[in-house]
Amino acid sequence: MAAQAIHQFAECITCHAWSPDHSMIAFCPNTTEVHIYKFFTDKWEKLHVLAKHDQIVSGIDWSRSSNKIVTVSHDRNSYVWTQEGQDWVPTLVILKLNRAALCVQWSPKENKFAVGSGAKSVCICYYEQENNWWISKVIRKKHESSVTSVAWHPNNIHLATTSTDGKCRVFSTIIKGVDTRGPQAGASMDWKFGEQIAQLDLSPTWAFGVRWSPSGKTLAYAGHSSMIYFVDDVEGSPAAQNLALRDLPLRDILFVSEKMAIGVGFDCNPLIFAADETGLWSFVRYLDERKVTPSTSKASQLSEALGKLYGQSRQGSSSDTVEPSKPRGGAHENCITCIVPLRKGSDSIIKRFSTSGLDGKIVVWDLENHITIPK
Amino acid sequence: MASAAYLETDENLEALISRIEQKSRKIETLLKQSKPVEALKTALEGSPLKTRDERCKSANWIVVHRAMMAIRDIDGMFNSLDTEYYDILMKYLYRGLSTGDRPTCDQCLKIHEKLTERAGLGCILRSLADTVNTV
Repeated sequence: MAAQAIHQFAECITCHAWSPDHSMIAFCPNTTEVHIYKFFTDKWEKLHVLAKHDQIVSGIDWSRSSNKIVTVSHDRNSYVWTQEGQDWVPTLVILKLNRAALCVQWSPKENKFAVGSGAKSVCICYYEQENNWWISKVIRKKHESSVTSVAWHPNNIHLATTSTDGKCRVFSTIIKGVDTRGPQAGASMDWKFGEQIAQLDLSPTWAFGVRWSPSGKTLAYAGHSSMIYFVDDVEGSPAAQNLALRDLPLRDILFVSEKMAIGVGFDCNPLIFAADETGLWSFVRYLDERKVTPSTSKASQLSEALGKLYGQSRQGSSSDTVEPSKPRGGAHENCITCIVPLRKGSDSIIKRFSTSGLDGKIVVWDLENHITIPK
Repeated sequence: MASAAYLETDENLEALISRIEQKSRKIETLLKQSKPVEALKTALEGSPLKTRDERCKSANWIVVHRAMMAIRDIDGMFNSLDTEYYDILMKYLYRGLSTGDRPTCDQCLKIHEKLTERAGLGCILRSLADTVNTV
């Protein structure tokens, strides 16, 4: 079984992140709080509760080398948490937004972080030493709708975003005094802050879950019309491959290597995609081995649907609670919204990763001895 | 979303309409030769998806409807219908279901069941979520 461990932490989890050594996990149980758990010999114990936000926490990222946690919330604010002794100390970052913050990610060098928001904008935040303060610079105008996902290119300059206007865009986030001219920076330094480098208009509907491959050569994102898009050479002449999925749409993507990606979403089961030698991407299979249930008869499907309708009408106004979905015989029982890599050292291939979703579970997956990952 | 890109001149619309009329004649011929699947393929090909003009969309729907209602052997149809037609066919099935007309809905539901078996839920998502390419 590819699912190594399954932990039921809450009723629903909006997002999660791991500490640098993977001994601790931070997640938001669909509330205003972030809970940090640590694994002690045989069980997970709650160590800290980060309670500073006023509304649901929509994004968490834990930096690997500087051990800082950044959280963003629907309350339009962001906090950077640093560990001092036993406590986590928050620093408020004023994002200058008038709508909810939706997602956050540390840049590869961890000197900046990007926040996507419902205010049709992206914030690039960086630390100003002299004022001891995090500054937020906002990229406005280009997005026509909410920014659902952000992804940093390994060069620490380019940022890809997906939006509910269906487009995927790449921006330059160069900031004077933060980004210094290095030998490998090359042409990426020529762009100004906030300049749009590319715009991909492939999805006729909402776009989610943008990610770069480890080298930054390939970009992938998902469309809500059950599509996944792989785009090579985004900055030069983009070459896109559109894959139509047989089943439900994806919410998030993770590249485990240059040639393999995992997609997660409404199917409750991670999907494996791989590229062949010619760079052609295709769907390989589902990751989770499910108990094969004999195809349910139509009568039972119908009665299940009627039962749902009936149940909802009885519940009346409380229909916004997470309904317990039918057991599917897999590790997750509801939509997976978040996939996070568990990197080992500087290994470019990711063998382990974790997923969380609306069922409140965090599942750790191990690809070793399960599938060969092409380099 | 109604941007200038979709604003068409009357000339373009006339060209579209006359193309649909041609299609309609071709379909009648194919149906007389009892080739319903070929007729359906012809009807689905070159559907005016991007236009916002209801007249064009209705005209093409009438053509698709004509071909769709002529299908008797649904399994047989799918054996010779290529997968590239699945997404567009699904869109027309939902248009058919929205008419509320009994025989049309009966036929649409029959095809919908078989199409979902073959094309999966992703096909339904593509027809429902796509607000740019409509039928």
